Amino acid sequence: MGLTADERWGLVDAIAQRTVAFGISRQTTGDVLGELTVKPLTGIPTALAVLYAFWSIFGSFAGVLVTDGFMIKLFDGYWLPWMQAAWPDPGSVHYFLFVGDPAAETCFEAFGMLTSGLFVSFGVVLPAIFVFYLMMTLLEDSGYLPRLAVLMDTLLHKIGLHGYAIVPAILGLGCNVPAVTATRTLETKKQRFIMMTLLALFIPCGAQLGIMLQVVPDTVGWVLLYLLIGFVVFGYVLSRVIPGSNPEILIDVPPYRWPQRANVAKKLWNKTRGFLTNAVPFVMLGILIVNILYLTGFIGWLADLAAPLFVTWFGVPKETVGPLLAAFLRKDLAVAQLSTIPMTSYQMITAVVLISIYFPCVATFAMMVREGPRQLLAAIGVLAAVVLIYGGLIHAVGILLGVA
Amino acid sequence: MHDHHDRLTILMMGNPNVGKSALFNRLTGANAVVSNYPGTTVDVTKGYLRKDRHSYEIIDVPGAYSLEARDAAEEVAVRILDTHPDAVIMVVLDATRVERGLYLALEVIERGAPCILALNMMDVAQDKQIAVDAAEMQRVLGIPVVATTAISAEGVKHLADMIRKAQVADLSAIRSRLNGQEPDQGAVARCAGCGGGGCR
Repeated sequence: MGLTADERWGLVDAIAQRTVAFGISRQTTGDVLGELTVKPLTGIPTALAVLYAFWSIFGSFAGVLVTDGFMIKLFDGYWLPWMQAAWPDPGSVHYFLFVGDPAAETCFEAFGMLTSGLFVSFGVVLPAIFVFYLMMTLLEDSGYLPRLAVLMDTLLHKIGLHGYAIVPAILGLGCNVPAVTATRTLETKKQRFIMMTLLALFIPCGAQLGIMLQVVPDTVGWVLLYLLIGFVVFGYVLSRVIPGSNPEILIDVPPYRWPQRANVAKKLWNKTRGFLTNAVPFVMLGILIVNILYLTGFIGWLADLAAPLFVTWFGVPKETVGPLLAAFLRKDLAVAQLSTIPMTSYQMITAVVLISIYFPCVATFAMMVREGPRQLLAAIGVLAAVVLIYGGLIHAVGILLGVA
Repeated sequence: MHDHHDRLTILMMGNPNVGKSALFNRLTGANAVVSNYPGTTVDVTKGYLRKDRHSYEIIDVPGAYSLEARDAAEEVAVRILDTHPDAVIMVVLDATRVERGLYLALEVIERGAPCILALNMMDVAQDKQIAVDAAEMQRVLGIPVVATTAISAEGVKHLADMIRKAQVADLSAIRSRLNGQEPDQGAVARCAGCGGGGCR
């Protein structure tokens, strides 16, 4: 057929020589910044500062300012008592489904569709994902992400990935669904499989992070540390076990640009709309299904059945089985539900980690089916093994530390 | 009514992060996600453009460095190209990185599809003191070459006007033009030399 690559490049050079002229270009502030943020000596401190700033703005804006400062007061102080008083028939099934526990003091405990459902959706998760995506968009549009990829390259190569895997990983912190498709930029099947599995296991989404800030505000650091350790350790194991190559990649680092206000606003609006139309119905549906399963006694039965595994192996109360079921629909909802089960703070850490890793939510699962139906079975096998091993390990660490 | 039948399909192709999605949004008013990192678009987005009496279906294709796909996003790009044999290809170039864009453009040209070339990010090129001669490139390649800046919409209207002038380029003609000879006169040559400016 046509040209060889060399002939093609020859032609490209000839055309470029005719049409492109380079003047003397001055180094701009952007160029200098670009250099400083990829050189390890200055780049690593910058990356740590950026990620720390990201997390602390996320926590203080979504958690402290909006949810604690405003939403909790609104929902627990006015909405919940009003619903409890106004909804007829506290003993009835519809009261249980819509309002929940008539004696509940907080919207976390009540667990009705119109109490906990609205509170989790609008009081906790909406502000969390809003501020998350605002910062995320700034990172995306400025051109910082590929630079982070350059910095992470050496580290990620140790777990069978290359630096660019940081892009799906960070997108996954917003929502795992687009992150699964973003693994398409990885080169080999091996890399895609490892990244998808690690995503499903160890990357909590923005909604989940937001609710974690509320439910385990003091120990959320531990949860994240366990997830990070799991990401690295199991990534390392997978990269040894799975056949295939992990080639070097040349990353195209674009120049820094100012994020455009219109583009940022458009993306934020799309994400928010997506949350309202896709996520909120699932939160409501999740509460409905879980409540019905409670009423029919199914969850009680399953809890008894799973008790040996949960109590002896994972070291968490057997009631945790209910939230784990809900986690298939929405992980944020599941974490919210955990807060109503009495347990020690270490048990809570374990349970939150378990919810994160045990299975991807239904939306992510559907996307994984689409992207790699053949590898999915293998992924589920890995998933089950990791949950059992890691859940037990976390319990063991707790015993060693004397807190479990 | 019948415009469904004579609707032309345009595939927007180019290296990652050259602004295909930004240009696509400008042309179609669609909502493709635009970011400043390579690999933002990994799937296909469709949009529509009506220009004068012409109506186009425009497809935003994931970025590719070459048609020999290396990753799944590039595979998507090649597959779309294969499944739209009648489409016009709009190759989008980053004016600050012309060479690698031209490589892909030549691969596309070799396949024999009608092409048009958008030289995007002209604003950045200007800042970097890189001058790209769109008129000369149009003369050499024998396909319309339009300078654009998607971010400010500069050149976008002209690009839309020129879509219908997309040409099948001929490699041997390109070679002889590079050697200083004028090949036989075709529809292409009539278009040459107008600088992508006034070819109406």
